[in-house]
Amino acid sequence: MKSELPYRWCKAPYPMAAALCLLATLGTLPLRDLLDLANIVMIFLLAVFIAAVWLGRGPSVMAAFLAVALFDFFFVPPHLSFAVSDGQYLVTFAVMLAVGLITSHLAALLSERTLEAQSREQETRVLYELARDLGGAVTVDQVAEIVQRFLGLIEMDVTLLVANPSRERGSFQEHGSRHLSELERTFARSAYESRTIVETDSLAGMGAAIVFLPVVAPTHVRGVLALAPRSDDVDNLRARRPMLEAVASLVAITLERLHYADAAQSSEVQVVAERLRTSILSSLSHDLRTPLTSLVGLADAMVQRQPPLPEEATETAGIIRDQARAMHHILSNLLEMARLQAGSITLNKEWQPFEEIVGSSTRLLAVLLAGRQLDIDVPRDLPLLNFDAVLLERVVCNLLENAARYSPQGAPIQVVARTREQWLEVAVGNDGPGFPADRIEQVFDLFARGEREPAVAGTGLGLAICKAIVEAHGGTIVAENRPGGACVRFKLPLGSPPAMEEEAPT
Amino acid sequence: MNETTARVIVVEDEPQIRRFVCDALRREGCASIEAATARQGLDEVARGAPDLVILDLGLPDMNGIEFIRDMRSWSPVPILILSARSAERDKISALDTGADDYLCKPFGVGELLARVRALLRRHWQAGEASPHHQFGDVEVDLSRRIVSRGGVEIHLTQIEYRLLAVLLANNGKVLTHRHLIREVWGPGHSEQSHYLRIYVGRLRQKLEMDPTQPQYLLTETGVGYRFQT
Repeated sequence: MKSELPYRWCKAPYPMAAALCLLATLGTLPLRDLLDLANIVMIFLLAVFIAAVWLGRGPSVMAAFLAVALFDFFFVPPHLSFAVSDGQYLVTFAVMLAVGLITSHLAALLSERTLEAQSREQETRVLYELARDLGGAVTVDQVAEIVQRFLGLIEMDVTLLVANPSRERGSFQEHGSRHLSELERTFARSAYESRTIVETDSLAGMGAAIVFLPVVAPTHVRGVLALAPRSDDVDNLRARRPMLEAVASLVAITLERLHYADAAQSSEVQVVAERLRTSILSSLSHDLRTPLTSLVGLADAMVQRQPPLPEEATETAGIIRDQARAMHHILSNLLEMARLQAGSITLNKEWQPFEEIVGSSTRLLAVLLAGRQLDIDVPRDLPLLNFDAVLLERVVCNLLENAARYSPQGAPIQVVARTREQWLEVAVGNDGPGFPADRIEQVFDLFARGEREPAVAGTGLGLAICKAIVEAHGGTIVAENRPGGACVRFKLPLGSPPAMEEEAPT
Repeated sequence: MNETTARVIVVEDEPQIRRFVCDALRREGCASIEAATARQGLDEVARGAPDLVILDLGLPDMNGIEFIRDMRSWSPVPILILSARSAERDKISALDTGADDYLCKPFGVGELLARVRALLRRHWQAGEASPHHQFGDVEVDLSRRIVSRGGVEIHLTQIEYRLLAVLLANNGKVLTHRHLIREVWGPGHSEQSHYLRIYVGRLRQKLEMDPTQPQYLLTETGVGYRFQT
């Protein structure tokens, strides 16, 4: 602080103080016989006071002693001697010294306070300007630049390290003119992780960053400010620490603001993209489903016609109807897959028995499964499971459909459900040729087909959808061959079903 | 159709779908009236007392739910909805608003006529419900609260009995989970939908030949249940 006092202009305050006292002596000496000694004391006190106000504490204390000595030497009889003729002058000296010291103390204190207030005000103004500049920053680079400009005024180089939330912990993005060494990065990481200031005084003056301030925002530690002073004045740095912390918190708030502005913008973009995708999907689904509905209905009307059309026409109409239905099925699978892949599906989960899905699936596929022997082995005491019924019904339907398609007419199909540890395991199997052994891993890939030559109609979407749905429920699905057939197994987590109060017996 | 000729209003904006639906209805002996917009449909319903309204949920000029709410405020005529399979939420809100049944697109003439017949039968028989029901080898006498299977009386708990009675009274009609919970457990129990699933499961074990493949107590996945003989 010393160097900042305004009496810095005065290079030699002590000689100045002595000169003031001498001036008072010389000025008063000719009037020695005219003035009362009490008034001469006043003039010396005035000199001490001026020294206190203008020269600071030390010089004014010296001036107080000097004033007493000069007063004694030149003015108190006997003159030109420190001897005192009248003992009561000792009281005068004591009071004069005391008043001088107290005055110098008070005056110096006052001016120090004033200076302190002035410098604090200046600091505040500078911080305010920094805050104002940061308020206008829209990129992290701008933030780094503004902080550099500000701290450059006090001879510091700054590097702003912004934590990368998406990547691994402790990975930073650097902003600023200086590139940090590996050692400096280690310090920065430690400041980031401990949320405390890290100082490495021993490196001072070597051009390296020696102060690492964590940039702590209300929600996260956003990064680290690495400061490299251009001089090795460690004390100066320490004195500025409160201000540096204030800078760090301003930067933190700015980074937080930028982060949320970014997040808001990207979520807005996402919402718009999502809305577009949803509207494309739903209009696609409507525009394709409508003509297919007409086709199925009109062809079916021809099949049902009374009196019947010629046999050939009825048969053709039946084929048109079935093909249109098959096309609708493919369309539904495609749209479902698009929704699942977009990740925009929200599961409509409820606690319900798994066996309901088996019952409704076999009813939906009644035509396809007619003439098949269905071996359904689902224990009666299965616990309730938390799942989206519509989606899981699609899984079971797709598996049953595959089992029927890839096995000879009339061959049996098995559905087995069991609980094992924390899982419900379901297996759907058939007595067919099985999956090709070399491609069994890929059957769940989009548009993968069990056979290279598509002997059976299908798109290869069915199992991919099953996988997406099962995984959305936190489960897993595998395909395997077993003696005499193929089998797809999936398992779903059991969870803990809600309790139920039994009704009182009647 | 016997008795009088049934008047059916078909509200559907797609002319091809409207055409085959109306053709099928006419061959079934119904008088079908076509409406291409919801506005026109409501006018037709108001003009001539119909026996059934077939409504496409995806009309351009009005939300199907609004149509149902509007119509239900002054007409009890049954409503059959046509909707896409994936639109469970729409179906549920349509049913909860007052629609009676739904049909997923695409559908065949057979499925359509089966639904139409069931709804017309219910409409005409309204108010003359019989206390005796019989399905499979199960007989239910609501007046004496007796349920028997193959001649042997079966014990049902109070809730099981209440649930069965509600399902029987709405033979052929889809009942949403919410509706069933309200009817059986009373309002304020909508959080306990798993109760309903468990009780339907118990009814199936007592009344169905094969509870995993029910013939009468049917699951309408994602929507509710339907009793059908």
